[in-house]
Parts: sequence; C-alpha cells; structure tokens
Amino acid sequence: MIYLKDITKVYEINKNNKVVALQNINLDIDEGELVVLRGASGSGKSTILSLIASLSKPTSGEVIVDEKRISKLPDSFASKYRQENIGFIFQKYNLIPTLSVTENILLPLIPLNPDEKVAKKKLDEVMARFDISHKASQLVKSLSGGEQQRVAIARANINNPKIIIADEPTANLDEKLSLNFIEILKQMKELGKTIVVATHDPLFFNLDFVDKEIKIHKGKLL
Amino acid sequence: MIKDKINIYLVEYAINSILRQKYKSLFIVVVFTFLTFLLSSMFFITNSIKYELNSTRKALPQIIVQKQIGGKNYDIDINRVDKILNIAGVEDAISRVWGYYYFDNARVNFTLVGVNQFENQYKNSLQKIVDKTDFDKDENTPIMVVGKGVKKVLSQNYYKEYLNFIKPDGKLLKVSIDGIFDADTKLESNDMIVMSEDTLREIFDMPSDKATDIVVKVSNPKEVQTVALKIKQLYPDSRVITNDDLKVSYENIFDYKGGVFLALFIVSLFTFFMIVYDKASGLSGEQKKEIGILKAIGWSVDDVLKVKFYEGFIISFFAYINGVILSLIFVHILQAPLLRDIFVGYRGLKPAFELPFILDIQTLSLVFFLSVPIYISATIIPSWRVATLETDEVIR
Repeated sequence: MIYLKDITKVYEINKNNKVVALQNINLDIDEGELVVLRGASGSGKSTILSLIASLSKPTSGEVIVDEKRISKLPDSFASKYRQENIGFIFQKYNLIPTLSVTENILLPLIPLNPDEKVAKKKLDEVMARFDISHKASQLVKSLSGGEQQRVAIARANINNPKIIIADEPTANLDEKLSLNFIEILKQMKELGKTIVVATHDPLFFNLDFVDKEIKIHKGKLL
Repeated sequence: MIKDKINIYLVEYAINSILRQKYKSLFIVVVFTFLTFLLSSMFFITNSIKYELNSTRKALPQIIVQKQIGGKNYDIDINRVDKILNIAGVEDAISRVWGYYYFDNARVNFTLVGVNQFENQYKNSLQKIVDKTDFDKDENTPIMVVGKGVKKVLSQNYYKEYLNFIKPDGKLLKVSIDGIFDADTKLESNDMIVMSEDTLREIFDMPSDKATDIVVKVSNPKEVQTVALKIKQLYPDSRVITNDDLKVSYENIFDYKGGVFLALFIVSLFTFFMIVYDKASGLSGEQKKEIGILKAIGWSVDDVLKVKFYEGFIISFFAYINGVILSLIFVHILQAPLLRDIFVGYRGLKPAFELPFILDIQTLSLVFFLSVPIYISATIIPSWRVATLETDEVIR
C-alpha cells in the first residue's frame, strides 16, 4: 500500500548549511499493518511520516500510496490526498488552542462543505469513540494533555482515513495515558486502518499487534 | 446553489478568527471606519458645496468689469456703461453698487447690494425683491431687505427692526428692516442686505458718477471671451472677470480648504497604512502555525486564502459601510458640525444653508477602492506566502 523508493531528503537550512535527513530509504507497508518506526531524536522518523502524509516532498526518490505517486503531487492534489487518506496525530497535538473541542475536530471537514447533519453525525461518532463528548464545548487550551490527545485522535479520524500517522504520540503523556493510547491504536488497527507510528517510547516495543518495527539511525534504515 | 458556491463553514471560520482576535480586530475596524468616515465626509461636503456654488455661479453675470490699478480695486466710472453697450454682441450692461460692511458687534461681514428701483436688475433674485419692495416709500428713513442669516445676527445683537450704519465720516445712518428674502441659493443670499442705490452710496460715501463694477450680459454665450477681450482693450485699467474665471476661483477656494481637511485625512491614512504594513510584513509564529496545521489536516492553499479573503473583506467592508453611514449622518443630518466651518463661512457670516444631498456613486466607489482592496491584499499576501511553503516546514 505504501512504498518509499530510494528516498533521500535534504533540508536546506541555508546555502551553506544542508542537513541530510534521509538517505536512500526503501520501505514497504501493507494495507492494515501497524508499523513502528524506532529511532533517536533526529534520526529521520518524522521526515518519513511527513513524506507519507505529503507534507513535504523528497529530494529524490518516490513515495507511492495506493499506486499513486504522491511525491509528485501539486498542492491542490496533495491537500485532497491528505483529506481523503491521512489522519495525522502530532507529537504536540497541533490543535488550535482558541477553538473548542468540537471546532477543532470538525476542521478537516470544513473544506468538504458537508451537510450539517452529516457533519454532526461524524462528530458525535468520533467524540463518543474517543471518549471526549463530555468536553465538547470547552476550549482545548483548558484540557489536560491526555484529553488534548484524544481531541487530536478524534480530529485525525473524522474523515475516516485509511492511514493513521502518529508522530511521537506518547512523548507528552504519563505511562497510564500512554497505555490508553496504545489501546486506542489497537482499536484503530482492528478497524482495518494502516498505522505508522514514529516513537522512541519503549512501551511500543515488542507489542503483539505490531506488524513491523523498523529501526532508523542517522537517516538510514537498520 | 449559494451553499454550493460559498462554503459557509469557511465564512464561519473567518468570523470566528476575527472574534478570536477581538481587540486587534476592533482596533482595525475603528481606524478603518474613521478613515472611511473622514474621506467620505470630505467628498460629501465638497460635492454638496460645489453643487451649491455651481447653482450660485449660474446666477452670476456673464462678465464683471472692475477698475483695478496696481492690484487694487477702485470705483469705476458709470459713463463706461454706454461705451461697453456699443461693443458688438453686448446685450446689456448695468453698473452695480455693492460692498462689504463689517458689523463689529458680531464680528461678521455683510454683503450690501444697492438696487435702482427703475432699472432692470442683473439677476432674477434681485428683480423679485425690487418688484415686491418700494425702497423710496419713506423719505425720512431708508429701508432694506435682509437675508435670513443677517436677520438672525442683527436680532441677536439688539437690532431687531433697524441697523445704524456707520458712515466713513463717523456719522450714523439708520436703515429699517423692511423684509427678509430667501433667494435661489442660500449660500449666496444668507449674508446679503439689499437697499436702494442712493442709500448705499451714502453709507459708502460713493459719488453718483461712480459704481463698484459693471456687469455685462452677452447675447451669445460663446462670445463671452471675445467681448471680455474687447472690454479689456477698451479700458486697459479694467479687470474683466468672466463666469468661467469665477468658477475656477470658487474651485480653488474649496480645493484649498479641502487641503486643510486633507491634513487630517493623511494622519488617519498613515495609521491605516501602518496596519497594512504590519499585516503585509508577515504573520506571527502562531498564525503561521495555524496555516500549517490547517494544511496538514487537508486544507488546500485555496481554502486558506478564501478564509483570509473573508476575514479581510468582513473587516474592511463592515468598516467601510460604517464609515459611509456615519459620514452621511454627520454631513446630511447633523450638517457637518466643525468640519463645515472649514469649508464654508468665507465672509465671516456662516451661511445657514443646508448641505444638499448629493449621493455620488463615483465618490463612494473611489472611497471603496482606496481602502477595501488594499486591506484585503495586505491580509491575503502574507498568508499566501506561508501557505505555499512546504507544510512540514511551516509546522516545524
């Protein structure tokens, strides 16, 4: 389902300062798999996630998702691709703090201009599934870390995407909340979603429902 | 259909975004409203006054002949009237006796106009007064007909029925108020006093063979300039003023006065452009991140720019409408207190005329295009710059 073919990514900080984030990466993820990318900070895990989500383009190589070369997509198509296929859970949640829980979760639906009833149905469904309904009207800045993450997960699922991407999802959570998140991941896998998690949290290692663990070091797969 | 064309959720998001920054948005709306208000008021006042002056000018003589030596005006010999009448194309020539009288009590100038009961008047408004009034009815006390403004000022200063004019030799001449007139244009007539020519000569101590100026009527309006040139050649010491010269002169007065107003306008414009510069120079880290998040969850550059367009449009159009409505109320209902004095009152006595309602679409469009698109562009351009960057880079 997801193929990364000879991927190299170089960040040009300025003309004389270049950082090679990934070097000739080849990666193959099948539909419905849960893949954990392991590696220290700066190893290139997040860059792989960005490439899969089409948030950035590779310097060379190709990213193919569902037989489509998403690494070559122009902006409008890349947006549509993300809208339909990707649910991204960020390390720092990346919620808009001055919006309410409901408003944050609904954000991915806005460009689709959905019927109000359809939007409401989807909203109620994800809020119930991720146990955040009781906080619906609160501003997200007033929520705890765990609650904010549940909002981020609900937002990532509102469009019912095929692929869920999570970047260091437990970095800001205590052990109990981290275990809760792992349970949520398991549920999402059971729903048939393809999941890619980048983490260096040992709680994710050797989980029985994880299909692949891939180690990355200095931009190369080990 | 509309729902298909306009994504209401994007409009809601834009409104929400404005409300989230309520103090900043409020400040922009206030400055923007004030700017539009000033600009619209200036245009509304000048349009109204120009309309009023244009009406006045149309009532003025085609040619006025004055005697001028060394840049100073002198009384003109009445016998020049006959020679001017002999110029081809001249239909009529009438000498006028008029001048300004400074009323010390109220510190205002009145315009004194003398009429000859038995001659044709050079304009209809005077003819109407002469037809209604017998200026020689009382041999002992001369009479006068006054404009509404004059009547009001005199009443406020004891003189309800007459006025004692102070002659050049210091003696007093009592003139009774016989009536009040309301001429074709209030701007022109408000400070005017009409009396018999003999009475006025006495007040100004002007000999009977002299006049203030001569007005000339030309049969064919296209020949006005030619006749004016011939008069100038006939009397080189004369200053010949045509109706067109008066038009330019009036417009200059109001352009100059508009300049005073312009200074006020420039100050608010400066503030407006500070806001525009602030917006155009870039977005805050928080705003950039918000765009990055929206793009990461599936928004396109187009969606982001639509929201920014709605934000800019809602703020600027709301402020524009506010400014125009406020200026309409200010100019046409409240009669532009304070500002009106800048433009009117050139003879000291503030004319009590109402600013005629002139709603000029060109003016409204000009104000619109000077403000709204500039602000919208300043809102969209920096967002476009950020939205077209690689999303990953913006979020990081």
